[in-house]
Amino acid sequence: MGLGGVPGFRDLLPLEAEVLREAQESLLGEMRRWGYRHVITPLVESMDVLDLGLGVDQRRRLFKFTDGRGDVVALVGERTVPVARLVAGKLRSAPLPLRLCYAGPVVSTVEGRFHHRRETYQVGAELIGASGPVADAEVIALAARCMEATGIRRYQIDVGHAEFFQGIMEAVRLPDDVKAAVRAALAARDFVALEALLEGTSLKSAEHELLLRFPALRGGPEILDAAGGLIRNRRSEAALAELARVRELLVAHGIGDVVVLDLGAIRDFDYYTGVIFEGYGPDFGRPIAQGGRYDGLLARFGRPAPATGFMVQLDMVSEALSRTDPPRLDAAIAWTGDGLSAALRLAATLRLFGMRVVVDTEPRSSAAAGDWWRAVAARNLVYCRGPVGVTWTALGKRARSLPAEQVAARLAGGRA
Amino acid sequence: MVSIAIPTGVLNPGALDLLARSGLANLTADDLGRRLLAERGEVRVILVRPADVPAYVDNGAADLGVVGKDILWESPGSHYELVDLNFGPCSLVFAVPEDGPLFGPETWPPLLRVATKYPRTSEAWFESHGQAVEVVRLHGSVELAPQVGLVDGIVDLTATGRTLRENRLRVSAVVGTSTARLIANQASLKTRSSALQMIVSTLREAANGAG
Repeated sequence: MGLGGVPGFRDLLPLEAEVLREAQESLLGEMRRWGYRHVITPLVESMDVLDLGLGVDQRRRLFKFTDGRGDVVALVGERTVPVARLVAGKLRSAPLPLRLCYAGPVVSTVEGRFHHRRETYQVGAELIGASGPVADAEVIALAARCMEATGIRRYQIDVGHAEFFQGIMEAVRLPDDVKAAVRAALAARDFVALEALLEGTSLKSAEHELLLRFPALRGGPEILDAAGGLIRNRRSEAALAELARVRELLVAHGIGDVVVLDLGAIRDFDYYTGVIFEGYGPDFGRPIAQGGRYDGLLARFGRPAPATGFMVQLDMVSEALSRTDPPRLDAAIAWTGDGLSAALRLAATLRLFGMRVVVDTEPRSSAAAGDWWRAVAARNLVYCRGPVGVTWTALGKRARSLPAEQVAARLAGGRA
Repeated sequence: MVSIAIPTGVLNPGALDLLARSGLANLTADDLGRRLLAERGEVRVILVRPADVPAYVDNGAADLGVVGKDILWESPGSHYELVDLNFGPCSLVFAVPEDGPLFGPETWPPLLRVATKYPRTSEAWFESHGQAVEVVRLHGSVELAPQVGLVDGIVDLTATGRTLRENRLRVSAVVGTSTARLIANQASLKTRSSALQMIVSTLREAANGAG
């Protein structure tokens, strides 16, 4: 029997698991401060529900099986649809808008779906029942503050609008089959194919030019004017006006300097209906947070309502963090002879101060205690020789003999 | 600093030539041959195996990459495919034994057995043409497979057709044509937009100048 686990699924060892859990708490804590209530939805959903909420490709990537009753069920591949089911079902009588947040694993049958993995952890927030720029800006500002709360230093939020693209596609003069091919090329981010498709058509318009320049349509508020001068359709114009307003509000939220307007954002345009955004951290090849407005989803569950939200890829956050500052044990307490009760009392005191402390399970000689200390990788070693006598060694310092109370005071004080 | 992954192999001279003509980096194969990495001004050039270029770019180890379209067919990823660089042309063809009974699609049997290094592309192409196939994935010397009766034909890349002729094979259908492409990491395009866009347009101009 191999002990490696299923390909695409991964164990998180203490270092990673702790950073991930801490990042999750920071994210949920920030969401709580913005008035988002925590919900926990199951890992398994009925296919009837998922069929309503998900696109064909997403459904194909689900782990499906039949439960004991013969119903087809699946492991969730994202957690917005379960929240929508909840809002349209059990929370039907709760007045809108509702602010909800969640955290949990999601899985996919496709290896490499989530950054070389088939399982990832997502933390998300949904604002359901509010439309317009104020709600859009709230969710974007929350996403920014969430990235900040985890301790990620430099980050950037790209804000775009699904309707800007839809307006262009409506206005551009192309046969339907070519339009479908244009959408497919954009979804695949294949601008060589896109150029070939648009070159082959006789009718040229400003919209052609915009589509070809899609990856470059980004920058500050000036990009809105530049794009406004090129488009000639109502849908795209309305999208630009809405983006201008959202940007003003984000400045008021205090995050104007991390926001970049991105009119060429390419996302799932069947799902998103308005303002969309992505959060990027430093040195990462892919977005850490993603979200936007999806006003069509709730209606599919029988409670039509505008909605916007986002999710953070938790394991990417923890990956960014565990590179910088690995957490360590604060103290390792070894003992010999009748030093055990002093060791236990000292550990209890230090834990009261929030320190992470391990007490050895067997007596050791002073030299063996040093080896054990290095093996558990703690910042400090405290060696209890008897009821009173204690030796304290901090990383990189000389050993000092002190009364136990003084060691406790110094360790706790040094931390505060 | 913007990093560009360029491939070893047949596209290597073209990629180095493009970098030189665009004025970004004047490097010889020897400059890169030993260290696999060279820095010139604001550009870092990384030399990797052709099939590895998408991995370097998708994961953000390189901001840009020069890669054959034939590689992209087999490994679609999260990168942006931005420019057709107009060099390294070749075709992906379905080739059958010269003296065999198979010619065009109308002569193919209900289930065609095909050997290839391009299983994904082959399956998709035959499927879109309504032809059932059994694809045998091989890693080298694909030309041998039909001669020993393993398969009916092969799907393989050809630039001049010489290898096919030498192995007494002829083209039954063209599956696709490929040239070198410029690809970009999605996050680099967003977070270091202006530096990247400048290099992309420089390379675009150099590529079109040659074409």
